[in-house]
Amino acid sequence: MVLNIGPQHPSTHGVLRLKVVTDGEIVSDIAPVIGYLHRCFEKHCENSTYEQVIPFTDRCDYIASMNNNFGYVVAMEDLMEIKVPERVEYIRVIMAELNRIASHLLALGTYGLDVGAFTPFLYMFRDRERILDIFELTCGARLLYNYMWVGGVSHDLPVGFVETVYNFLDYFEPKVQEYNDILTYNKIFIERTADVGVLLPEVAISFGVSGPNLRGSGVKWDIRKDEPYSIYERFDFDIPIGQGLVGTTGDCWDRFYVRVLEMIESTKILRQALKDIPTNGDVHQALPKKIRPPKGSIYRRTESPRGDLGYYIISDGSPQPYRLKMRSPAFTALSVLNEISRGWMLSDVIAVLGSLDIVLGEIDR
Amino acid sequence: MGVFENKFQDNIVVASLDKLLGWARSTSPWFFQFGLACCAIEMMATAASRHDLMRIGMIPRSSPRQADVMIVAGTVTMKMSLRVKKLYEQMANPKYVIAMGSCATSGGPYWQHGYHVLKGVDLVVPVDVYVPGCPPRPESLIEGLLKLQEKIQSERPLTRKTA
Amino acid sequence: MTDNQEQLIKEAVKKALQGDMDAVNNIEDRVTRSKAKAALVKAKREAAKTSAEPSAEEKSEESGSESKPASQSPNQQFAGIIASQFPNTVDEELSSETHIQLRPAKWFDVAQYLRDDPACLFDSLQCITGVDLGEDSGLEVRYNLHSMTHRHAIEIRIACSDKNPKVPSVEAVWRIGDWFERETYDMFGIKFEGHRDLRRILLPDDWEGWPLRKDYEVQETYHGIVVPKVKEGWE
Repeated sequence: MVLNIGPQHPSTHGVLRLKVVTDGEIVSDIAPVIGYLHRCFEKHCENSTYEQVIPFTDRCDYIASMNNNFGYVVAMEDLMEIKVPERVEYIRVIMAELNRIASHLLALGTYGLDVGAFTPFLYMFRDRERILDIFELTCGARLLYNYMWVGGVSHDLPVGFVETVYNFLDYFEPKVQEYNDILTYNKIFIERTADVGVLLPEVAISFGVSGPNLRGSGVKWDIRKDEPYSIYERFDFDIPIGQGLVGTTGDCWDRFYVRVLEMIESTKILRQALKDIPTNGDVHQALPKKIRPPKGSIYRRTESPRGDLGYYIISDGSPQPYRLKMRSPAFTALSVLNEISRGWMLSDVIAVLGSLDIVLGEIDR
Repeated sequence: MGVFENKFQDNIVVASLDKLLGWARSTSPWFFQFGLACCAIEMMATAASRHDLMRIGMIPRSSPRQADVMIVAGTVTMKMSLRVKKLYEQMANPKYVIAMGSCATSGGPYWQHGYHVLKGVDLVVPVDVYVPGCPPRPESLIEGLLKLQEKIQSERPLTRKTA
Repeated sequence: MTDNQEQLIKEAVKKALQGDMDAVNNIEDRVTRSKAKAALVKAKREAAKTSAEPSAEEKSEESGSESKPASQSPNQQFAGIIASQFPNTVDEELSSETHIQLRPAKWFDVAQYLRDDPACLFDSLQCITGVDLGEDSGLEVRYNLHSMTHRHAIEIRIACSDKNPKVPSVEAVWRIGDWFERETYDMFGIKFEGHRDLRRILLPDDWEGWPLRKDYEVQETYHGIVVPKVKEGWE
């Protein structure tokens, strides 16, 4: 029997259509149909200047827009060989890690919603609102910031920023324990997600899966540690990997738990960055007057909350990119859905899809 | 009868029934969660704990048959536009549409070179309220919903419409 | 500034110049630490001026050949290995330290070799990018490969014409090639031979044209809905 899930469905990942071929209740094949949100991002980039590309990158992965911006400006600064001031580096890392926490909160909350738990969704959104308040304090926007520019950031930190973030961290760290109590170690949740959708490391690497999905399968790979960019080498943090604590290594629970642990690691990075941030410095000091990179191309990867975000930029010396390709981590994560959900029941497919944490804006661009 | 005392004048019955119906229909519109892109995240944030949509009577319903209002949140692409039309036709009367965000209103930031972007959802479905913003703040969306409530209340469903 | 602080800063800067940043980062007092960092920047600038040597680069593969004339960048190294294993596949004039230019004929075999050979072990295909180089030069497909075990990365470019572009498919070698190649086909019209299921992935199946080519003209209507910008006076 061929079933059609979507493109409009109660799950909150976006407009995704799944053509599911089932044998009774057991799934034998899934073909994801994407493209319902193809917004011609790459065509727009070819017709806009390098500065104008930044708001478009925001809107690709709209849940972690700071990290999208970060990836783009790191690639551009490598291409143009610009060195940004220290304060800008610290501000960027703080914003990126805060956005990582916000993105994981949304991923975990909506995963609970998919699996049937409504309360964690409300709790996690309540805490996410506090992070969005911090962003609004800095740059005025809640969701799509246009914050990181090539050579700097758009606004300097406001007065009282450091205390606000410290207050948030003091409030947030005990909450992770609360989430573990309601959701992570909940018996029903464990039965729904343990041993389901096991992703083997070789399969993951061949499919190009990265980020928490790959780490959930036990592979210790994080661009922040293995190909460091910006000032990530200065911080002391761990890379959590899945170990199969309640089931098999690489199942949905492992991917979920890796995200929970990553939130704690991000708080560690934030505390170190807030302690060391230089107090003064002009954030607009290194902004180039006109962005005209030399001819050439570059491929640079950074770690977004979903995995390896790569930008392949080809420049021909003009103020507009000749070609800009965004390699999105969720694209590769979705391609592995067919492999890992064969043989499971239909409701398990929803659990697996939620654990892969996809964002259709990034997949379709 | 405390609600109705001194509220309506001594009129013919049809007028006050109109108002009664308007009041009943507008105060609990169940919305069809049609989140497509970034605006969907703001719609979810509006429905979550801080800006609570439940206090104005709205619950998210996933089936078009059970919903009154369709909030088109996000960019509508050509591939999706046929489905939007189909889902709109599946909703039961009375139905209303809110175009949330600048992408649904007029194509948004993708208006210029977006070959696959529909320049405004009003090209396929009739829209009642437009909420601008990219993405609109939850407070803006709530104001849009209140404006929709005013619009519903001012409808006269029972009077015969002449020509 | 007290003598103690000056002493501390001098020692920390000396250690940092030799490569040990911990001495600077571990200074507890924030003001002293920032002063130490400023002193370090100044010292580095002095050192650069006096020695007039290019500073050591980090992990970028492009620059390997500049500071150490003996070693090559990974691209040049692997170009040599591929050319020795598969003669007549590497286009020597167009390959450089930034990329390897291959001829399309034996790409599938080269890809399998790159994935399986113990010295290469490129088990991860990072990105496939299609490029339209203009009317005269045609289309090109660029592959970014990376090895999780050896941690090296190369870029391979394969050129094809724009009249009837065909490139061998590598979806049997790296499973993610399936979707990446479908996307390149969707945007550029490049046919990947050997791909089991080559069809459009992002655009609807009945869309006309290859959007990311430079000479793309948007179609007028799609199922009755007008495609290009409709509303007046927006420019």
